[in-house]
Amino acid sequence: MTTIELKKGQQVAPVANVKKKSRIGKLILQSGIIGWLFILLVWQIASMFSEPMFLPSPYLTLIGAIEIASDGTLFLYMGYSFLRVLAGWTLGLLIAVPFGLLIGTNKFVRALFEPVINFVRFIPPLAFITLFMLWFGIGEQSKVFLIVYATFFVITINTLTGVLSISNDKLLSAKSMGASKFQMLIYVVIPATIPYIFTGAKLAMGSSFMAIVGAEMVAANEGIGFMIWNARLYFKTDWIFVGLVVLGLMGFIMDRIFAYTGRKLLGRYKVV
Amino acid sequence: MLNTITEEAIVIKNGAKTFQTDIENPTYVLKNVDLSIKKGEFYVLLGPSGCGKSTLLNIIAGFLDLSVGELQIVTSREENRDGRGFVFQSADSALFPWLTVEENISFGLKMKNVPAEKRKKVANTFIKLTGLLGHAKKFPDNLSGGMKQRVQLARVLANEPEILLMDEPFGALDAMTRRTMQNELIRIWKETNKTVIFVTHDIQEAILLGQKIGIMSVGPNSRIETTYDVNLPYPRDITSVDFNNHYKQVQTHFEDFTI
Repeated sequence: MTTIELKKGQQVAPVANVKKKSRIGKLILQSGIIGWLFILLVWQIASMFSEPMFLPSPYLTLIGAIEIASDGTLFLYMGYSFLRVLAGWTLGLLIAVPFGLLIGTNKFVRALFEPVINFVRFIPPLAFITLFMLWFGIGEQSKVFLIVYATFFVITINTLTGVLSISNDKLLSAKSMGASKFQMLIYVVIPATIPYIFTGAKLAMGSSFMAIVGAEMVAANEGIGFMIWNARLYFKTDWIFVGLVVLGLMGFIMDRIFAYTGRKLLGRYKVV
Repeated sequence: MLNTITEEAIVIKNGAKTFQTDIENPTYVLKNVDLSIKKGEFYVLLGPSGCGKSTLLNIIAGFLDLSVGELQIVTSREENRDGRGFVFQSADSALFPWLTVEENISFGLKMKNVPAEKRKKVANTFIKLTGLLGHAKKFPDNLSGGMKQRVQLARVLANEPEILLMDEPFGALDAMTRRTMQNELIRIWKETNKTVIFVTHDIQEAILLGQKIGIMSVGPNSRIETTYDVNLPYPRDITSVDFNNHYKQVQTHFEDFTI
C-alpha cells in the first residue's frame, strides 16, 4: 500500500476532473438525447434511400409540420384529441377505481364479475367503434365512451391486484386496533392500493391514445387520427409522420406530467 | 380460591383447532390445549417451527376461533378486542409504510376518533418509552429492522392494551439488535405491567424473557406439554450458571416432546 503525501496547497486535481466529466456524461445519458439522435439518424439515412412520398426525411416532416401548424390546424387537432383522451380517461378512472375496490374487497362481487371482466377485456376497443357510434351517435360521446372502455379494464384489474396484495398482517393489525370496516377501507385498503391504481392509470393513458386514434380515423372530422387518415387522400406522407410524432410527444408529455405530479402529491405512497 | 380466579388474564380449557371442514375425521393442529396465564405475567410459548404456537397466539388474539374448547380473556374493557395488542413477526408487513412513525403509532387512537392534539401527546409518550425520539417524522422504510419493531411495539402500546401478544417479534433481527430489544422489552414490560405472551422457538430467548415457559409438542395434535417456571431475577445474565442450568432443563423437556 502506498501513501501519496500532498504538499501544502496541492490539490488532487485529476481525480476531481474525472468525476466532473463522468457527471456530464451521466446527464447526457439520463436525458436520453443519444437515443433520440440515433433514431433521427436512422430515419434520415433510411429516407435517403427512398422517395419522400414513401418515407419523408425528418427535415421534410418538420416542413410539413410547420405547414399544418401555420394556420393552427395542427394545434386544434391536438386539442381535440387531447381533450377526448382526458375526458374519457378521467371518467374511466372515476368508474374503474371504486369498481376495482368493490370487487377486491367483496368476495361475492368478485366471484360475480371476475370471469366476465376477463372475457370482455380481450375485446379491443376498436372492435366497438361501430357499435358505439350506433349507440351514442357520431358526436363526442361515442369517442369519449370508447376511451372510458379502453381505460376501464386496465385500471380495474390493477386496483383489484392492489387490494388483493395487501398483507393480511396490515388488515389484522388495523382490526385489532379497533378499525371498523369502513375505516379499514379508507385508512388501509385505499392507501395501500394507491401505487397500483397509479400504475393502472398510467398504462390506461397508453390504451386511451390507441383508442382515440382509431375512433378519429373512422368517425371524426378533426383530431390527430383524422389528420393521419385524411393525409392519404392527398398523398401527404409527411403529414402522417407529423401525426405519429405528435402522438408520441403528447403521450410522452402527459406521462411525464402525470408521473411528476404523482411523485409530488403521492410520494408517501411510493408511486412509480 | 376466588382470589386466584380474578388474577387470571387468559384461560384456555381443552382447546383444539382444525382447519379442515371434514368433520368426520379431522386433523387437529392443536388438541387438548390447557393454558392459564396470570395478570401481569410474562409467558413464553416455546416450540419448534410448525408446532402451532402462532396459531395458538392468533386464537388468543381473536383472529382465529377455537374449533373445540373454551377461551376466556379477562380484561377490564367492555370491548374485548381493545384489551389485546398484537406485535407481528414482520414489521414490514404490519406497519403502514405511507404513514410516518408518529402517524403509525397514533393509528389506533385515530380509529377511536381521539382529537389530533391528544393523539400527538400519547404518541409522544410511547415514542419516548420505546426509544424512538428523533424518528417521529420518518417513514418506516427509512428505519432499521430493530427500529421498525420498536414502532410496532409503540403502535400497539399506544392503545393501552392489557395483554400484549408477540409473535416471534425479534426473529428477523441480527443477534446484537435482538439482545438490545429483549432488554428493552423487559424494561417496558416492567414499566407498563402488561400481561405478555411471547412466542419463540429459541430456548435462550425463552429463558431470558419468560417467568413461565409453556413448552409445546410437535404437531399435529400439539399441546402445551409442560409449564416451566424460570425463577431468575431480571435482568438475566445468559452467561451465569443458573441460566445455564435452566437452559439444560428446558432443553431436556424440549427434546422429550419434540423428537
